[in-house]
Amino acid sequence: MKYTLAISAVIFTIGFVTIPVVWSDDDHHWGDMEEYRHRSTGVATITDTIYREECGSCHMAYSPALLPASSWIKMMSGLENHFGDNAELDAETERSITDLLLANSADRSDYRRARKFNRAIQVSDAPLRISETPYFRHEHDEIPGRMVTGNPKVKSFSHCNACHSRAEQGSFNEHDIRIPGYGRWDD
Amino acid sequence: MKIPYMIFLVLVSTPVNSVLAVNTSIDTLLQTYASQGVTEVDAEQGKHLWQKTFQSNGEYSERRCASCHTEDLTAPGKHIKTGKLIEPMAPSVNPQRLTDNKKIEKWFKRNCKWTMGRECTVQEKADFLLYLNK
Amino acid sequence: MIKPTQIKVWDPVVRFFHWSLVSAFFIAYITEEDLLSVHTWAGYLIVGLLVVRIIWGFIGTHYARFSDFVHSPSTIIQFLKNTLALRAKRYLGHNPAGGAMVMLLIFSLLATTTSGILLLGAEEQAGPVANWFTQAGGYWGNALEELHEFFANFTVLLVFIHIAGVIVESLIHKENLLSAMLNGFKPADTRTHEESL
Repeated sequence: MKYTLAISAVIFTIGFVTIPVVWSDDDHHWGDMEEYRHRSTGVATITDTIYREECGSCHMAYSPALLPASSWIKMMSGLENHFGDNAELDAETERSITDLLLANSADRSDYRRARKFNRAIQVSDAPLRISETPYFRHEHDEIPGRMVTGNPKVKSFSHCNACHSRAEQGSFNEHDIRIPGYGRWDD
Repeated sequence: MKIPYMIFLVLVSTPVNSVLAVNTSIDTLLQTYASQGVTEVDAEQGKHLWQKTFQSNGEYSERRCASCHTEDLTAPGKHIKTGKLIEPMAPSVNPQRLTDNKKIEKWFKRNCKWTMGRECTVQEKADFLLYLNK
Repeated sequence: MIKPTQIKVWDPVVRFFHWSLVSAFFIAYITEEDLLSVHTWAGYLIVGLLVVRIIWGFIGTHYARFSDFVHSPSTIIQFLKNTLALRAKRYLGHNPAGGAMVMLLIFSLLATTTSGILLLGAEEQAGPVANWFTQAGGYWGNALEELHEFFANFTVLLVFIHIAGVIVESLIHKENLLSAMLNGFKPADTRTHEESL
């Protein structure tokens, strides 16, 4: 009896904060907390093995959600000169990867992080470098050069998983950041 | 050492040769090359090409296979630009190597074009395979 | 020893508000932006709770009203000094320090929730003020984020001081203030501590 009111207050609170969330949860299964958690600060994990193999053999397999469809189309049509390297594919693989990219691109994703990437890009632009998109720059503008470009363990902003320990799972949560040689960065 | 191609194929495809050659699955590729006109295969030639420096107008003016893969086939290499680890080429150390023909052809196409500025000839590919197959 | 009479000090509104606030703030603090929807709803709840409490502070039961426990700074300081000297008077409702804490918490929570709503608009173009901001972030986003984090953490600091105060007060006057906030009752005043002037 003594605790009745306090307990009902706690239950009321939990109900208040979860019901609207669960109720409006579109087409995602509300029981799927893993996916929901990622929806907040990350992007979809791409498990497609062909994609991970082909697009991850020289660098991290970047999530399709980080660039709009127009960028991916441009990139896939110029694979003989992929940032100075040759990344040509056979026609069938090229087609299936392109399909995957377009289905999960930033302008088609409902992940919060992807929407932020997309919103900042002009519709007429088709940037090829994720690290040069406005949202990316905004998020990284306080990081001293010596920690990235001047850091032999990182070297470039393109090297996401050097610092973002869960980048390959699509998570860029600030609490998972460890800059090699410098430590955490959660501000 | 130059080996007449047919004798080489015989050697490579007998089970006894599992001692001499680490794997025999490059057979089909070599047969394809044979049907395209390759008569002799030379591992030394393959090695020579592997270590040769080619000039380029692109970002890296001097390019070699060894630029990424290193000259030691049993050692891991790393991508010249991204630094990403590349598993060793030698099947003796990395049994996955040279088992998937589609993969072999894919990388030949890309890397010959990047390194040499053109696709490799079937002769060059055969020589490479012989050199790498240890 | 005769058991002292129990007086109903904290009415249900006050208590329900208190424990809902504790839960909501806790949930908001641990979810951050990782579970943004939950975090935002916790924030909205806190706003609602604060509105109710502020209104209740004017029209509620005796001990719930601001007029009962809001004191001048000099009174508050004197009370704190007396507490240190172990001769502070016992108050049935909030003592002056407790009253000050209520006001500080209300302020800090209002600052946190306000900055939160603005931040939601600036960074996500979502929430009540979504259309005040045309494009993501920029200068406002960064400043609001810093402000929101600062007040959230300041609130946490206040909470720790609040808990310490509750413990100290309970020990000095030999009463269970936690129990009082759960069932609303405190023993009637039979002690003779005098407030020194």
